[in-house]
Amino acid sequence: MKAIDHQTRPALARGVRLATDATTGEPLLLFPEGVLYLSATAHEIAARCDGRGTIAAIVSSLAAEYEVEALALERDVLDCLDELRRRKLLVFSP
Amino acid sequence: MYRPLLLLAELTHRCPLHCPYCSNPPAGPGGGELSTSEWARVLGEAARMGVLHVGFSGGEPLQRADLAELAAAARAGGLYSNLITSAIGLDLHRAQELKAAGLDSIQISFQSDEHALADRIAGANAHARKLEAARLVRELGFPLTVNVVLHRGNIERVAQLVSLAETLGAERLELAHTQYYGWAFRNRAALLPTRAQIAQAAQAVTAARQRLAGQLEILFVMPDYYSERPKPCMNGWGQRFLTVNPAGDVLPCPTAGEITGLRFDNVRTQPLSWIWSESEAFNRFRGTEWMPLPCRDCQFREVDFGGCRCQAALIAGRAEVTDPACSLSPYRAELTRFVESIRDPGPEVWPAEAGDVHVTPRRNPPESIESPRKTTKT
Repeated sequence: MKAIDHQTRPALARGVRLATDATTGEPLLLFPEGVLYLSATAHEIAARCDGRGTIAAIVSSLAAEYEVEALALERDVLDCLDELRRRKLLVFSP
Repeated sequence: MYRPLLLLAELTHRCPLHCPYCSNPPAGPGGGELSTSEWARVLGEAARMGVLHVGFSGGEPLQRADLAELAAAARAGGLYSNLITSAIGLDLHRAQELKAAGLDSIQISFQSDEHALADRIAGANAHARKLEAARLVRELGFPLTVNVVLHRGNIERVAQLVSLAETLGAERLELAHTQYYGWAFRNRAALLPTRAQIAQAAQAVTAARQRLAGQLEILFVMPDYYSERPKPCMNGWGQRFLTVNPAGDVLPCPTAGEITGLRFDNVRTQPLSWIWSESEAFNRFRGTEWMPLPCRDCQFREVDFGGCRCQAALIAGRAEVTDPACSLSPYRAELTRFVESIRDPGPEVWPAEAGDVHVTPRRNPPESIESPRKTTKT
């Protein structure tokens, strides 16, 4: 696994859209020929992947939201971002 | 209860191409095309039922002048929309209009990587226009899928087709073997590749997938005429998928019209949700209750669902029997005899211009009706 640079800015890949399941209210990502249902945490993370904020900024924003130390959730955020990148749903730009 | 996830919206059966592998019914859908407002209502109903994706298909969906309005209606309902197109008619103006309407992705069909062969298969001067349209699609930031329907006339060009998709900057390449329904069933003796050709194509796909891992996703669909097990058609009848045809009939699969005696309800007279859950057509082959032997006792009954009902109807003449592609079907021997009769005449004479293999290019449905014009919208 390639190390993730905290100063890169994640964004949803081309054609990927964050949406809500109309019948269940669950958050999901839609893309050509597919769908990925998101956990509540993954949803919070994906919603912040707008191509403007750095990974470091996303971690601090979530830490503030949940009133925890950034270090306590950094690993989970990185794992989630990496998983979404591996599925080609996210791109990281400098 | 099952919930539909994907709606195939067949906006029209009119098409500027004449591909002999078309799986649309030669007779056409019958009845006039749905209007803009009827389609908008259907898209809204589908979204409320839980459908997530809509594929705008045809025929050629760009033949409808109101396509951008329909893309906007899909977007308003929260549906993810994909345009499945030959790209004929996709100029800068229309591409921009579709982008502004919120269309999410575009799939362009190619007949070959090679200009002359591509135009010969399509029966039209199409290839150069497709290349230009694909460039536009990328320029406007749509995700691009390149789709090539494989058959005996182009299956030896898999490596070159991969290069074409790479050059165009596509995210996905679908190398989907011809499905033998509609025009394609009538032309199958000219379309079916030999076993050797398929093995060679599979090797080329494996090599390309290794080389392009993480860069280009390659889908490769083999012809089920050569397999031992039937395809799990539609992932089960009436489980995930519905098609609305140009006239508003709702079908469990795009080719279900091949099944004589099956009656389809219409969105003009019934709500889509009622058709999905209650109609005769959607319940006829749902689940496992309807299954005959050997399907009923088979360990794969919920893996392949007895295979394809339309194929059973076309080959066995009875939609309710095991798919003849299955090695356990009593009709398999007949299908195998047909498969083994296939000889490669060589790509330079495909489709056979002389000899005993006859090819009928797709023609437009006899009762084509002009799509509603934007100006008639009330």
